[in-house]
Amino acid sequence: MSKNIHERAQQLISQERIERIPASENTWLAAHLQECDGCADFARKTSSALRSLQTIPIALPAGLAERTQFRVGLRAQQLRHHEPRRRALWIAAGISWATGVASAPYVWWLFAWLGEQTGVPKLVWEMGFGLWWAVPALIAAVVLLTEHEKQSGERYWLQRSQ
Amino acid sequence: MSATFLIPAIPNQNAWLSRALPTCAFSALMKDENKALAQGLQRRDPDLLDRLIEQYQFRLFRYLVYITGDRTRAEDFFQETWIRVLERGHQYDGKSRFEGWLFAIARNLVIDWQRQRKVQSLDALTDSEQAHPLQVKDERSASALQAVLNSEQDAQVQGALQQIPAIYREVLLLRFQEELQIDEIAGVLGTPPSTVKSRLYRGLEALRGTLEAGVS
Repeated sequence: MSKNIHERAQQLISQERIERIPASENTWLAAHLQECDGCADFARKTSSALRSLQTIPIALPAGLAERTQFRVGLRAQQLRHHEPRRRALWIAAGISWATGVASAPYVWWLFAWLGEQTGVPKLVWEMGFGLWWAVPALIAAVVLLTEHEKQSGERYWLQRSQ
Repeated sequence: MSATFLIPAIPNQNAWLSRALPTCAFSALMKDENKALAQGLQRRDPDLLDRLIEQYQFRLFRYLVYITGDRTRAEDFFQETWIRVLERGHQYDGKSRFEGWLFAIARNLVIDWQRQRKVQSLDALTDSEQAHPLQVKDERSASALQAVLNSEQDAQVQGALQQIPAIYREVLLLRFQEELQIDEIAGVLGTPPSTVKSRLYRGLEALRGTLEAGVS
C-alpha cells in the first residue's frame, strides 16, 4: 500500500471526528482500517485521546453555585434599584434632545441676535450654541460614568469581602 | 481553605438529547427552549438564573479552569461571568445555543483581564510560577487498582493538555468536551469557522503526539 493511502486514511480519521465525512469515504475508511493495522492503531489512539478528554472529572469548589447565586442576587437588587433612575435619565435626555432639535432654529437666531447685540465674534456664539446642544448629553455621560465607577468599587469590595 | 466535592465528567444534556430525538424535533425543541431562555434573561428572572448557574456550573468552571490554568482565578471568572449574564441578558437573542453565548462571555472576561495584564497570548494565562497542577480526582473507579489506573490516565491527559498551545487546547475542549459545533465555536472565539477547523486538526494532532510521547 502506498504512503498516500495511509495519509488519506489518517486525514479521514481526524476529519471524521472534527467534521463529518461523506458516506463513501466512511465506507472506504472502514475497509482500509480492517486491513491496515497501523491506521487502525492510529484510529484507536485518536478515539482514546478524545475519550480521555471527555471523561476527565474536575473538582468543583464547594458552594460555588450558592456563592454565585448570592452575588448575582445582590447585583440584581442593585440593578432593580438603579433602573428607574437610569430610565428617568434616558427619558429626560430624550425629551431634551427632541426639544433641542425642534427649537434649534430659534435658538440659533437667538444666539446670532445676542452675538450681534453684544459684538461677540461669530465663532464664539457658534461655540456657545454647540455647547447648549451638548450640555444634556454631557450631564447624562457624567451621571453614567459616576454610576459605573461606583459599581466597579462595589464589585471590588464584594470580591474582597468573600 | 475551601472544601471541594467531585463531579464526574458528564456528557452535556443537549448532546444527549440531540442523539435521542429526530433532528427536526430536537431543533424545534431547542429553538423554543432558547427563546424562553432569552425572554427570561431579558426579565432577569432570578429563578431562571439560579437554575442556569446550577445547570452550567460544572461545564463553565471546567472551561475556565482549562483556559486560565488556575482554579482560584477560574472561580472569580465564574462569578463574574454570571454577573455579566445578568447584566447583559437582553443581548442574548435565543437564536443560538445558550452555552455558546455563555462561553463567549467567559472568554471575553478572561481576555479583558489578560489585556489589563498586558500579556500577549492565551498561553501567558498559565503562569508557570503560579500554576497549580489541576486537581483531578476520580470517583468512577470501582477498585483501588482501577483508581490508580484512572488517575494515572487522567494525569497523563491533563499533562498533555497543558503542553498543547492554548489556542489549540481551547478549541479541543469546546469541540470534544463541550460538544459545540464548529460554527458555535467560531462564535465563541470570534474567528472564522475555517480557522476553528484548522486549529482543531492541529490540536488533535498535538494531543495525539503529546499523549504518545508520554506513553513511550
